[in-house]
Amino acid sequence: MKRVNLMRFVLFLITFTMVVNTASATMNVVVITDPTGKDPNGVAAGSQSWQNNMFQSTFILSMTKHFCVLSGGEGNATPRLAAIVSALNVMENGGTPAQAATVANGFSQIRVMVGSATEGAAVGGYFDADVVIVSANGTITITPYNGGLATLPAGDKGAIIHLLNTQGNPQYGTADAVRLQTAEMMGEMIRDGYPATAVLAAAFNNVATNAGEKHGGGGLNLVSELTTGDMFTPPELNTTGFNMNDPYEKVSPNGWSVGFPEADNYQTSPIDDTNLTTVYAYQALQSAITVTQNSTIVYTYGTEAPGIAETTSEIVQASVEKYGYSSTSIATSINKGIGSGLLVGVNYVEPMDINVNQNQRAIGVYYTPLQGNKSAPAWKLPISSSILSDLGNIQTAIGLILVILVLFRSTLISSFLKRK
Amino acid sequence: MFIKIRRDTLIILLLAFMLIFSGRVMTYMSYASSTDVGNQGVEISGIIVHGNDIVPLDSIKASLNNVGFRSGSYIQGDTLVTSKRMVPLNEALSNAQQAVMETTIPGTTITPITAASVQLDNQTGVLTVNIVESFSNIHIEGQGINGTY
Repeated sequence: MKRVNLMRFVLFLITFTMVVNTASATMNVVVITDPTGKDPNGVAAGSQSWQNNMFQSTFILSMTKHFCVLSGGEGNATPRLAAIVSALNVMENGGTPAQAATVANGFSQIRVMVGSATEGAAVGGYFDADVVIVSANGTITITPYNGGLATLPAGDKGAIIHLLNTQGNPQYGTADAVRLQTAEMMGEMIRDGYPATAVLAAAFNNVATNAGEKHGGGGLNLVSELTTGDMFTPPELNTTGFNMNDPYEKVSPNGWSVGFPEADNYQTSPIDDTNLTTVYAYQALQSAITVTQNSTIVYTYGTEAPGIAETTSEIVQASVEKYGYSSTSIATSINKGIGSGLLVGVNYVEPMDINVNQNQRAIGVYYTPLQGNKSAPAWKLPISSSILSDLGNIQTAIGLILVILVLFRSTLISSFLKRK
Repeated sequence: MFIKIRRDTLIILLLAFMLIFSGRVMTYMSYASSTDVGNQGVEISGIIVHGNDIVPLDSIKASLNNVGFRSGSYIQGDTLVTSKRMVPLNEALSNAQQAVMETTIPGTTITPITAASVQLDNQTGVLTVNIVESFSNIHIEGQGINGTY
C-alpha cells in the first residue's frame, strides 16, 4: 500500500513539474540615466533570450508617446499577447508604467516590463528582477524583487533588470549571479555618467557572455524613438535571433561595411584597402540606437528611389553643422543639391516640407517625386513650353531646308560651271 | 581643296547650322520646362504613413507593397498597373486599406490598426496613409505557440 502511494506521489510530482516549468527566459532591461527625458540617449530598453521567437513583440516601442513594453513569461503565447495588449492600452490612455505593468498579474506566468522616458519604469507579474537606483550623491542601491510589482520611481536615475535562465541553455544556473553582477555594473556606469544606450549595450554583452541568454531581441531608445527593429530578430518562426556577443559586421574607417558571414572573406576594404574593424552585435545595437552629438537622424518621405535617403541625410547633416536647425537653410541646401544634380528625380522642397525636431536631432524631409522619368525639376521659363516646342521645330525645319537648298545650289553651280 | 565653296554658301550653311542647333535647344527647353506627364501614367513613387505608433513603419510599407503599391507600379487612368496584374484603382485602394488594417505587430497576431484611410495623389504618385491604432478592443484568438518567452 505504502509503495503504491509513493509511486502515485512520484507520478504526481513528475506531472506537476512537467506542467509547471521552473525556468523562465528573457532578459528584460530598462535603463534611465536622464529621468527628465531631455538627453536624447537618456532612456534605453531591450530584450534578449536563449529562446526562439524573440520578435519585435518582445520589445515594443511607442513612437509618439515615448514608452516601451517588454514582455516575457512562459506557457502559451496567447495570454502574453493579451497582457501586452492590456499594458499597451493602459499606457496609450495615459497610465503610469506601474499601472501598466501590474496588468501582468492578471495573467498566469506572464511578465510585462514597462519603461517611460519621463515616468520611470516598472515590471509586473512573474519575474526575478533587480532594481538599481543611483541617487544624486552617487550611492547605488540594488534591491532584488521576486514577482508582483517592482518599480523604478519617476525622477530617479537607475535601471531594472530581469534575468532568468532558459532550460536547455548550457550556462543554466548562472542567472542569479549574473543578474546581480550586471546590476552592479549598470549602477556604476550610470553613476559614472554613461548614456543609457551605452549602459544597455554593456548589459547585453555581459548577460550574453556570462549567462548565455544571448539571442536578439533588440534594443530601443525611448527618448529619440529609435529601435533596432529586425536587425537581430529571428528570420522565421521557431528560430533564434542573432547572438548578441558575436561579430555582426566589419566596417572600414570610411563607412564601408559588410555583414557576417560574408565578412569572413574580407580583410581590407575593397574600396581603399583600409583595415576593417569588427563590430560585435552589442556594439551594433549601441550605435543603432545612440544619437551622437554631431549626428542628425534624417527621415525621407515621398520617394523610395535608391540613393535619395542617403544623399539627403548627408546634405542635411552638412547643413545642420553649418547653419543649425533651420528649416529654411536646410531647404536651401537640399534645393542646391537638386539643382546641381546630386539628388535626382525629385522636385524642389519648401521649408514647410522640412520637419525639424531639434531636441531629438531628427529631421524629416517630404519630397515630391517627378513624373515621366524626369531627372530634374521643370525649368521656370517666361515662355510656355508648347510655344517653345513649336518654335524649335520650325527653326529646325527651316535650317534643314536651307542645308538642302545650299547643297542643291552648289551642285547646280558646279554642273553649270562644268557645262561652261 | 577638294570642294570649291563660295563664301556666301558657307555663310548660308553656317546660318542653317545655327538655326538647327537653336531649334533643337528650344525643343529641349520646352521638354525641360513642361510639367505634363505624358501618357506613361503616374508611377507610385512613395508612401507616407501618419499616425502609426506601435506598428513599425516597415510592416505597413510591406503590407502596401504586397497589394501592388510598390515602386514599378503605375496608374493609368483609373487602373493600377503592377508587375503582376491590372487592378481598378478604387479596388486597389480598398485592398490597400484592408491590408493596412490587417498589419500585425511583428511576431504576433495582434492587429491594433482599427481605422485606416488611404489616399493617392494622382499627380505625384504619393500614397498617403492615415491610421488609428487602438488597444482597447482587441480580440486575441487561437492557440499561440507554447514555450518560454
